[in-house]
Amino acid sequence: METNNKQMLFLTLTKLRAWVFLALLLILFEVWSHTIYGRSFLANPYNLKSLAFFAAIPLLLALGQTFVIISAGIDLSVGFIMGLAAVISAKAVAYFGAMGLPDFPAVMLGIMVACLVAIIPGIINGILISSLGVPPFIGTLGMYGVARGAAFLFAGGMTVSVSNSILKWLGNGLIMGVPVLVIIVAIACIISHFLLSQTRFGQHTYAMGDNKAAADRAGINTKFLTIKIYALAGLFAGIAGALYTARFSAGSAQAGEPLLLISIAIVVIGGASLFGGSGTISGTIAGALVIAVIQYGLVYVNIEPFWQFIAVGIVIILSVLAEQAQSKLWGAK
Amino acid sequence: MIKLFNRKAKALLLSLGIALTSTAAIADNVKIALIPGLTADAFYITMRKGAEAAAKAVGAELIYQGAAEWNVGLQVPVLDAIIARQPDAILIAPNDKDQLIEPLKRAHAAGIKIITVDTFIGNGVYQTGKGDADFPMSYVASENVLGGQMAARALAASIGEKGKVYVSSLKPGVSTLDQREQGFREEIAKYPNIEVLDTQYNDQDPNKAAAQFQAVLGRTPDLAGVFGANLFSAVGSANGAEQAGVAGKVKIAGFDAPASIVDDLKNGTLEMTIAQHPAEIGYFGVMAAYAVITGNPAPTKIGTGFTVMTKDNIDDPNVSKFLYTE
Repeated sequence: METNNKQMLFLTLTKLRAWVFLALLLILFEVWSHTIYGRSFLANPYNLKSLAFFAAIPLLLALGQTFVIISAGIDLSVGFIMGLAAVISAKAVAYFGAMGLPDFPAVMLGIMVACLVAIIPGIINGILISSLGVPPFIGTLGMYGVARGAAFLFAGGMTVSVSNSILKWLGNGLIMGVPVLVIIVAIACIISHFLLSQTRFGQHTYAMGDNKAAADRAGINTKFLTIKIYALAGLFAGIAGALYTARFSAGSAQAGEPLLLISIAIVVIGGASLFGGSGTISGTIAGALVIAVIQYGLVYVNIEPFWQFIAVGIVIILSVLAEQAQSKLWGAK
Repeated sequence: MIKLFNRKAKALLLSLGIALTSTAAIADNVKIALIPGLTADAFYITMRKGAEAAAKAVGAELIYQGAAEWNVGLQVPVLDAIIARQPDAILIAPNDKDQLIEPLKRAHAAGIKIITVDTFIGNGVYQTGKGDADFPMSYVASENVLGGQMAARALAASIGEKGKVYVSSLKPGVSTLDQREQGFREEIAKYPNIEVLDTQYNDQDPNKAAAQFQAVLGRTPDLAGVFGANLFSAVGSANGAEQAGVAGKVKIAGFDAPASIVDDLKNGTLEMTIAQHPAEIGYFGVMAAYAVITGNPAPTKIGTGFTVMTKDNIDDPNVSKFLYTE
C-alpha cells in the first residue's frame, strides 16, 4: 500500500515533470538572486514581463509542434514557414497600406494573407505524409528547404521593413500592463488546450499517435486528420511569423530558424513522447517557460553564457530519462 | 616651326600611347568571377555593384555566381563550376577559412589568380611563401577591428563617456564579429569611466537578444549602452530596450546598413550604425585582380573603410550612398 502511494507520487511527478523542473529552476534563481543581489527574482514584475515576452513566440511555434508530435510525427519546416510568414506579412501590410487602407484593416488583411500562405506548406506536408507515405522527418525536411527558399525569394534576400502603428502595437503594446503579444499567445494556448482535450480532433490525434493501425481500424480518417494537424502547425507558424514582424517592424526569412529545435525541445521537456500518443498543452507551456527561465535567469545572475546550452541540454536529457522510467515502471503511458 | 614640331611630337606620343594601351589590351577579354559568401544578402549584392563598376572601367567581364546560403558544401560546387569556365581571376568570400583551401588550390593550379574578399583562407596573410594558404594574391575586406574602434568612440561620445556597456554578438568564432568586438574592447578601454560587461551571444535570434538585454538591465539598472556587433544583435537589443521602457535612454550602436536601417535611426531605435563599404570591397577586389592579371603588383591586403550613420547625418547623400542596396 505504501509502495503504491510512493509509486503514485512518482508517477504524478514524472507526468508533471515540466512543472517540477520549472519550480526547481524558479527556486534556484530566487535563492541565487537573493544571495547576490539581495532582491527577489520572481516578485519582480519587470522579470516576469521580460520572461513572458521571451517565451511567447517560441511557445506559439511549439503549440503546433505539440499536435504534430502527439500524432507521432515531427515538423522540421515550422521555423522557415514562420520566416516565410514574417516576410509575407511585412510585404502584405506594406502593400495594403500603400493601397490607401487605414492601418487597422491593412494589418488584419496582411496577417490573414500571411496565415493563409503559411497553411499551404502545412497542407502539403500533411498530404506528403498521409497519402504519399513520405516519413514526416523527410517530408518536412523537404518543406524546410522549400519554405526557406520561398521566403528568401519573396524578400529578395533582404529584411523587409514595414511601418504601421497597429502592427507595432500588436508586437510591442500593452493592455493593462500585459503585453498584447503575450495575450495573443495565451489565447492560442487556451484554444489549443480545448482542441486537444475537449474535441474529437484531439482524441483522434492521441489515438493515431498511440497506434495508427488501430485508429484506422476504428474508422478514424487518419489521412485527413494528418493533413489537419500539419495545417494547424503551419497556421501557428504563420501567426508566429506575423507576430515576429509586428515585434521588430520587419520580416526576415530566417526569423524562425533558431526556433525550430527550440520548439521541439519545448515539447519534449513538456512531457510529450517523440513516439507519439502523449503530451499536453500545459506541459508545452511549462516547457517554454523552463527554457526561457534558464536562458534569462543565467544572464540575470551573470553566468558565462555558454552554460545556457549545457543547462538546456541537461533538462532535455533528464526529461526523456523521466519518461523512460515512467514507461518502464508502468508500461507505456 | 618649333610649334609644329611640338605638335608632331605630341601626336607621336599620343599614338605611342595608343599603341601602349593596345599592347596592354592583350588582356582585353579579361574574365573575372565573383563568388559571394551567399547570394541572398544586401551586403554582397552591393559588393557586386562595386565589382561591376570596376569591371566596366577596365573593360573586363564579370561573372557573378554563388550559393543561396552560407555553407561550404554549397559554395565548393559553385567554385568548381566557375573553375571550369576558366576565368583569369576569382574573387571569393570563402565560407570557411580551412575547408576552402584545397578547393581554391585547384583553381590556383589551373592558373587562375585568387583574391579573397570579405572573408579569408588560412590566416588571411598571403604571398609570404609560408604555409599552404598563402597563394591568393590579395585579401580585400573591411578593417573590422577598426570598425569596432569606431563603434566604441561613437558609443562613448553618445553616453557621455561614462557608464556600463556590453557587446551583443551572434556566437563566438565568427572571425569578423570577433574582430569587431576586439576593436571595441581595445578602444573602450581608453575611457576610464566606462565599464564593459560580459558579451552576450544570441545565436541570430533577436528575441533572445532582447531577453538578454532585459536580463542585463535587470541586474544593471545603470546600463548605458550596447554595441550590437551585427544587425540582428543590435535590433534585438533595441527591442529589449523598448520593452523595458528605456528606448533612447540606453544607447544602442549597430553594425551594417541595409536600407531598412534608415527607419531604425530616424525613430531612435538605434542611436547609430557602423556601415561597411561593400561596394568598395568589390571595386578594389576587381582592380587588384586586374592588376595581377596584367602583370602588375597589387597589395596583399586592402582594408576598406566605414561610415558612422546617425539620425542627424543619414539624409546627407555623402552618408546615405553607403546604404546597402538591392
